[in-house]
Amino acid sequence: MATSAKTIKPTKARSELGDILHHLVRDPLGLVGLIIVSIIILSAVFAPWIVPYDPIALNIPDRMQGPSLAHLAGTDQLGRDTFSRVIMGGRVALQVALPTIGGAIFFGLVLGMIAGYGPKWLDNIIVLLFDTVRSFPTVMFALAVVALVGPSLNTVIFVIMVTSIPTYGRVVRTLTQSLRNSEFIDAERSLGASVFRIMTVHILPNVLGPLAVLAAMDIPTVVGLEAGLSFLGMGVKPPTPSWGSLLNDGYNLIRNTPWLIIAGGIPLILTTLGFTFLGEALRDVVDPKLRGRGSK
Amino acid sequence: MSSLLEIENARVCFKVRSGLFSGAGIIDAVSGVSLKIEEGKTYGIVGESGSGKSTLARAVAGLHHASEGSIRYRGQELRNLPEREFRKLRREIVMMFQDPIGSLSPRLSIRSLITEPFRIQGMSDWDLDAEAKRLLKMVGLPEEFASRYPYQISGGQARRVGVARALALDPKLLIADEPTAGLDVSIQGEMLNLLARLQDELGLAIIIITHNLNVVRHITDHVGIMYLGKLVEEGPTEKVFATPQHPYTLALLAANPEPDPDARLMRIELLGEPPSLLNRPSGCEFHTRCPFVQSRCESDVPSWHSDTDHGSHRCHFPENWVGKQIV
Amino acid sequence: MAGVILDVRNLSVSYDTPRGPLKALRNISMQVPEKKIVGIVGESGCGKSTLILAIIQLMAPNANVTSGEVLFKDNDLLNHDLKQMQALLGVEISMVFQDPMQTHNPVLTVGRQMIDIQYRDKLSYSEKRQRAADMLALVGIPDAEARLNQYPFEFSGGMRQRIAIAMALMAKPSLLIADEPTTALDATLEVQIIKRLRELRDEIDCSILFISHHLGVIAELCDEVVVMYAGEVVEAGNVRDVFHAPSHPYTKALLECDPGHIKEKTRNLPTIPGEIPDLVELPEGCVFAERCSKIHDACSARPEFQVVTESHAAACHLNNGELVK
Repeated sequence: MATSAKTIKPTKARSELGDILHHLVRDPLGLVGLIIVSIIILSAVFAPWIVPYDPIALNIPDRMQGPSLAHLAGTDQLGRDTFSRVIMGGRVALQVALPTIGGAIFFGLVLGMIAGYGPKWLDNIIVLLFDTVRSFPTVMFALAVVALVGPSLNTVIFVIMVTSIPTYGRVVRTLTQSLRNSEFIDAERSLGASVFRIMTVHILPNVLGPLAVLAAMDIPTVVGLEAGLSFLGMGVKPPTPSWGSLLNDGYNLIRNTPWLIIAGGIPLILTTLGFTFLGEALRDVVDPKLRGRGSK
Repeated sequence: MSSLLEIENARVCFKVRSGLFSGAGIIDAVSGVSLKIEEGKTYGIVGESGSGKSTLARAVAGLHHASEGSIRYRGQELRNLPEREFRKLRREIVMMFQDPIGSLSPRLSIRSLITEPFRIQGMSDWDLDAEAKRLLKMVGLPEEFASRYPYQISGGQARRVGVARALALDPKLLIADEPTAGLDVSIQGEMLNLLARLQDELGLAIIIITHNLNVVRHITDHVGIMYLGKLVEEGPTEKVFATPQHPYTLALLAANPEPDPDARLMRIELLGEPPSLLNRPSGCEFHTRCPFVQSRCESDVPSWHSDTDHGSHRCHFPENWVGKQIV
Repeated sequence: MAGVILDVRNLSVSYDTPRGPLKALRNISMQVPEKKIVGIVGESGCGKSTLILAIIQLMAPNANVTSGEVLFKDNDLLNHDLKQMQALLGVEISMVFQDPMQTHNPVLTVGRQMIDIQYRDKLSYSEKRQRAADMLALVGIPDAEARLNQYPFEFSGGMRQRIAIAMALMAKPSLLIADEPTTALDATLEVQIIKRLRELRDEIDCSILFISHHLGVIAELCDEVVVMYAGEVVEAGNVRDVFHAPSHPYTKALLECDPGHIKEKTRNLPTIPGEIPDLVELPEGCVFAERCSKIHDACSARPEFQVVTESHAAACHLNNGELVK
């Protein structure tokens, strides 16, 4: 006796990614976020090819100019084209953000899942670790590391990654704890699934959704942190352009020209807005889908 | 001949942290249960919230740890068996869960879900696509369901997926936790008929956990009724239904009457609410709710009576109630 | 209409969905006479929840009433604005919902909630409190006065539902609507609560509209019954007539499937094969046709309500087994 294949919900042949994109596009803020983020990512990826000028080429005769057709954002104190430096700076920002967040996600996942699913004593240790790291002010920690190994891009990446791990770890831990008591986990246990299998096959995929949202919202924070550290001289060394160093230069030269500091600030604002809109839209898509599913 | 599954005085307890209203303590969710299940037969365990029936089922499936007593499968003691050893038995002892969609891992396709047992038991080299098709056919679902996800199917269909998954490796004992809960009356029969058919085809022993006594009437050979973690009546289904001995059995029967406005038999009403497991009543634990309570019930714990005409039960004053008008 | 407290006439409700309008209720007509208990029985997708929400005007934003009237004491509720509904709800029309765990505000004591809902009455605080205690005692909660100081989480599910009933009946409404009030409870508790509900009704003299999928309870409690299927009323009438001599094939099949009904042991339980039709793309003709064992050529046209007996009607082309012209 076969049951009919008809279900109450219509089943579309869309893939999961297609489904997410479909919903994102419908949300106006999500669409704006998606567009901004795409522009940022594309310009960062293709930066070396699309910059109108070499970002580190000196051109003293043309220094300190305001925006013009030749130089869309003007030039800085060494005659370098600000617009090109902004675009390159975006590349640097993503070069920092991606490994940082990638690393933080990786360690956050591992530690968070172990804490959430494992024995209580291990959970206590890991939470203590998280809380300890979180209690360090980022800048102090950065200063300490810089004192040890000197300022560089890698320093920034390391510092921000370590201080971000607890944030991701805690979220993963909470999600894991709530999933741990689900009926489907019991079902897998009753089939004899090992702890490792349960964590990787059954818990991990369900944690990635909210984690992706968190990461999207975190990118502007990381970029801002990088800008801040570079502004303080602890990050990228000149002449590599970063938004933070642009802000630093702009700050020093604000009486001569406001354009530098604007050029450093606007991309940061756009990045924050873009990723935040995208992240919030993603969260709306991911959550209600999960809730709406499985209910008749 | 030893039974497929023998449970003797099983006890499952949980620690309860002190809340605002109750103190800390240990509760006996299952408090000394003994029963036997034969190969190829169906056993119904019936009880309401707090009876311990689901806990008992999970203890047999290895999800809870039994603190005392013995649970023997084909003579092998399951209590305290290390997981490594238990895993081998998980091909034979399987469980179907109450929440049909919630018991399916949400990010896996139906194909992956029903072939999980193969992968877990190290049999990934089998033709899993073919197995998936075979299993879907066995439970009456169309082949194209294999590529769907749990959120794309209805509760009834998800239940069938649960059955398919449980039967993947040809088990000998299936534990079905509330297989008809939440199903409309008009399709409850489908699930029960499916289980009956599969039992006939595969020689499967089934334990059905439910709160609805009427559901077990038709497909079980034996039935056990639980209250507060203990069996209060037990025996061959026909006998228990024909001549129930324990008042709680009567109450359960009365609570699911036939839809006849003129039927006024056995309007048994239990008194009050079920007691908390932290505060077990003295004597016969059912005495606080029993409509026929007498003074002896409060002080003396009834022992287990067995006779061949009825089933076994624990009541001081059992009687053959059928035909008597009680209002 | 005399002696009828609630008169639903030709009510149709649709939901806006991405696939098109979902016709959840189609031409529903039913009445609740004064001082009677009317049961609505039906399975998933029959529309009973939508019907209730339409009556008390608490429908989802994407719901549209496409036709019909809901007359409460001869006033059309569909024409009422929010203020008028608020004046009625809790006073003349009260409701008890399905899930006792979510019915009460978890951060207020039960006493506080029961006193708050008496805000329209000009009584002193202690008088209101006494009334609350009396109602709790009436629904069978021991130590009522002391328990007023407790929070909902300190009560079991069965008790919370009794409290909900107490709150609903405190204002002595003319109509109590109970939406599957005992579905979430153990069956033995259900027996207690149903009995108490019947006693209370006799005291307060209200009408009750009782929704359930549990046929045994409907038979026990109700005077009249309305059977719904996929958004339509398929049979209605005196509960004795309908249950003893069901005319519509769905009602018959439903009764046959009820586990309490089947007396002989069988390995092949009856079911109604198939599923309810798609409410967005409805088939023509009788909505039950594709699952009906008595399907005829005539069933490709929608059946009208046929009178079976004076107090019993069904929407089927077959009346007492004979085709109606």
